Amino acid sequence: MDYPEIDKYASIDSPIHNFDPRAKIITFMVMIFSFVFLDTITKALVGLGIASLIYIIAKLPKAFVIHRLKVVFLFLFPLLIIMPLSVDGQAIAQYHSITITLEGFQYSFLVIIRALSAVTLALIMLGTTRFDITIKALYMLKVPGTLIQMLMFTYRYIFVIIDEFQRMWKAMESKGFKLKANRYGLSVLGNMIGMLIIKSYDRAQRVYHSMISKGYTGNPRTIVNFELRTKDYAIALSMILIALLMHTYHLVL
Amino acid sequence: MKEAIRVKELTYSYPDGTPALEDIDITINEGEKIVIVGPNGAGKTTLFLHLNGTLKSQDNTVMIFGKNLGDMKVEERIKEVGIVFQDPDDQLFMPTIFDDVAFGPINMGLDEEEVKNRVKKALSRVGLEGFEDRVPHNLSYGQKKRAALAAVLSMEPRILILDEPTANLDPKSRADLIQVINDLNKDGITTVIAMHDVNALPLLSDRVYVLNRKIVGEGNPREIFSNSELLKMTHLEAPDVFKMFKVLTCFGYDCDTLPMSIDEAVEFLTRTIESGSGHIHLHLHEHTHEEVRKFLHSYNHH
Repeated sequence: MDYPEIDKYASIDSPIHNFDPRAKIITFMVMIFSFVFLDTITKALVGLGIASLIYIIAKLPKAFVIHRLKVVFLFLFPLLIIMPLSVDGQAIAQYHSITITLEGFQYSFLVIIRALSAVTLALIMLGTTRFDITIKALYMLKVPGTLIQMLMFTYRYIFVIIDEFQRMWKAMESKGFKLKANRYGLSVLGNMIGMLIIKSYDRAQRVYHSMISKGYTGNPRTIVNFELRTKDYAIALSMILIALLMHTYHLVL
Repeated sequence: MKEAIRVKELTYSYPDGTPALEDIDITINEGEKIVIVGPNGAGKTTLFLHLNGTLKSQDNTVMIFGKNLGDMKVEERIKEVGIVFQDPDDQLFMPTIFDDVAFGPINMGLDEEEVKNRVKKALSRVGLEGFEDRVPHNLSYGQKKRAALAAVLSMEPRILILDEPTANLDPKSRADLIQVINDLNKDGITTVIAMHDVNALPLLSDRVYVLNRKIVGEGNPREIFSNSELLKMTHLEAPDVFKMFKVLTCFGYDCDTLPMSIDEAVEFLTRTIESGSGHIHLHLHEHTHEEVRKFLHSYNHH
């Protein structure tokens, strides 16, 4: 079965892959925050350039990021239409009472570029680490237990639910069902999603029983062996410096 | 001999009031191999959930090695009784196999070295060495089933409870699992198993309880399978070998005890042939077909 695995390429060997997961999360978060606060298109483009460079260093396949960025772009695209119409500024075209402004275009470009570089960085961060390791790194970084458990169960059971959905779908298709965008199709789809929710409720009950029977008391505990080496400090330090320089270079230069 | 499990007058109803278990009395000695059979919805899983305190029962209804289960601490309880449930996807709830197998030992408060040792030991016991970093959704059903067993073995429980361990397995995986369970029992672990797989049952049981909300029968496999009324009432059937030899007796084959497994059948046949004149004698007489028909009818559900 083909799962949409985010950590499909986590076993590649690259400096980013070998970067300590805890340091990776902190460094990338700093960089993401730095890049989304950049205030001009030029700076934002430099940010996107740096993100792409890290992407090349990480040796991830092209399709991995492009495919996902397409989805992100779909959400961002409306900005290109809405902002030129709604932001005040120098008009570049006018039709009756509707004006299109240059500032609007600039703003929407800025937002889109910043978002793309942030998403690229986030994808590199998640794509270069096995997801269970990412969760453990968050655990080591003292992220609240409830959040860790939610992530853990989501990661574990998303595939089980996908399987369950596909089994139901095949069963329906084998009885001649074809999804059409009409009332009947939607009601069948609704029933199916309802069934999935009931099934996962039952499963949650069984999983809980099996957790209790292994002595679960509410705190996730696990054993992790991470070790920060000199090279981790070096990578983290240089990336954080870049992130800071993007905002403070005019003070230094 | 020490009593491992004693259940006395256990009654339980589901939250909506439907009775699930009535007046259950069970005594299981240390080291015994017990199988619990019964139709779908007979309450086997519910009974199991009481045996390690996942479902709470009234005082002194469930005693584990002479101690009231309700008074035991969590760490103590999971050290005594381990349950392997039916669906492995319900039990492998951690991101990797290592985390799953380590889950129980960590909760028992063991130190890191010991936890790692136990994970290693448990995985090699079920033949999954080197699977530590694998994620459950990439495993086959049989592997998941064995991983789920390892996740319980790592707690090194003295009593091992298995719900339908052989269901949905291919014959090889099924045989492997039966072997593992029997090895564990030989090491002194008390095993309690719920199953519908009557052909595997004789291999996994010294004694059988028949459960249908109440305990409706108890005895060794041979006694249970000879009671056709009981089997019919509880939607069960006898192993094929057992029935085959019963049919052979209608043809004049002379044996007082019927074999429960292929191995036993070979042994019995050899013995009969050797004690006779080097062959066995089968024949037809006027009532043979009538007898066979009657026998098969008594074991048939239709």
